[in-house]
Amino acid sequence: MALSKDELKAAILQKAETAPKPQLYIKDFYACDPDAKPREIKNVANDLVKEGKLMFWSSGSTTMYAMKNRIKDEEGASGVN
Amino acid sequence: MAKHETPLLDELEKGPWPSFVTDIKRQAEKKPECWDILGQLELSFVEKITHWKHGGIVGVFGYGGGIVGRYSDLPKRFPGVEHFHTVRLNQPSSKYYSTKHLRDICDLWEKYGSGMTNMHGSTGDMVMLGCRTEALEPFFYELTHNLKQDLGGSGSNLRTPANCLGKSRCEWACYDTEEACYQMTMHYQDEIHRPAFPYKFKFKFSGCPNDCVAAIARSDIAVIGTWRDNIRIDQAAVKEYVAGNIPSNGGAHAGRDWGKFNIEKEVINLCPTNCMWMEGGELKIDDAECTRCMHCINVMPRALRPGADQGATICVGAKAPILDGAQFATLIVPFMKVSADNEFEELIEFIEKVWDWWMEVGKNRERCGETMQRMGLPTFIKVMGLDPLPQHIKEPRSNPYVFWQEEEVEGGFQRDVEEFRARHAA
Repeated sequence: MALSKDELKAAILQKAETAPKPQLYIKDFYACDPDAKPREIKNVANDLVKEGKLMFWSSGSTTMYAMKNRIKDEEGASGVN
Repeated sequence: MAKHETPLLDELEKGPWPSFVTDIKRQAEKKPECWDILGQLELSFVEKITHWKHGGIVGVFGYGGGIVGRYSDLPKRFPGVEHFHTVRLNQPSSKYYSTKHLRDICDLWEKYGSGMTNMHGSTGDMVMLGCRTEALEPFFYELTHNLKQDLGGSGSNLRTPANCLGKSRCEWACYDTEEACYQMTMHYQDEIHRPAFPYKFKFKFSGCPNDCVAAIARSDIAVIGTWRDNIRIDQAAVKEYVAGNIPSNGGAHAGRDWGKFNIEKEVINLCPTNCMWMEGGELKIDDAECTRCMHCINVMPRALRPGADQGATICVGAKAPILDGAQFATLIVPFMKVSADNEFEELIEFIEKVWDWWMEVGKNRERCGETMQRMGLPTFIKVMGLDPLPQHIKEPRSNPYVFWQEEEVEGGFQRDVEEFRARHAA
């Protein structure tokens, strides 16, 4: 990882706050630190969920990440899960 | 919640088979919200469109899987299914339960949910159907603290690992599928409960090539029991089968008169590689040609058994037909010892190599098998640090497709074609 864990957390939150769509795939965060391994990014993103700063949004088949203030509490989608 | 008129669904109660409509009506007498399932489904039959929405942020604290949000898009008309979330429970290995445990689960689900279940989902989970958001945390607390059971996987997580009955009931199991499934489930708790991947990922463990959990068809990593020595033959039992003294297929076809057992017709001629024959009253097998189809062993279980040097074949990349059609897994490691003695070290190393690659290059919502197809098998084999093998190739005699790299060819690719053709005509 080129960034420290705290720097990576800040970069992920920045991305989640400013991305055009409220829900992001884990791969959308890879660019926050191109030198970090995917698992390191995943672990940091999941830590942010534990801290209540991000939320999981799951369609049932795929899980995405979102800022709570950017999505409705109860939201469904059509498609396959 | 009122009862709805359901003339179309009522038609589904008229056949001789069990009817889910009847089941739901019965459950609705106890849990009135179930009337709204029937009402909404009837409307969907009339309008030919679903009224379910799925997905959302529902879950229990600390978990990113195991619960799939479901909502009605007509909550005022069908308030009983305004929230109707699905909860997946991690089934015990081989799905062994006591009746007491099943009753406890059902009682708990009637307390917090609709009482409706689906046993079991394709990954083997017990699927609890229909629960409101506010009931999830208390249900989860009692499930884990009182019943000692956990949620299964959903979303971009490792899905609940599944296995066949294995050595608990089956003489053909070539490794301990229950131990492997249990240990992998415990080892990868974080991956089961929190998203880690571009999409879903499944393991399945089958003890022999009969593959009773359909690992080769449904899992991203299929661990299928096999052997690398010879099929064990009891020639005296072969003679008993031929004489008709032991029923073939364990007597499974004894209900009708199929005539006398014919080893040529029912076993030898059905061998896919023609590697069996009778000689001097004895059954012979050219084991080097055996593809482990299991047919002869299934037909004559008292005469034939898997070999004694046992382990597993590892196949990667199966998936169901959601996107781009169904795909079987591709054989990657023909034989691996799978054993608790070394804490499944070799298997874990293999799994994590696959994950590291797929997490890096897999696209969003791309199953591992689709990534392999997109990148090519030679790339995958190279990433895994394996040498190409004949078993990697579907038709090695007619369609070889393992390509040489320039550094592997003496003199590289800069050769004088005319000089070559002088010795090897096109």
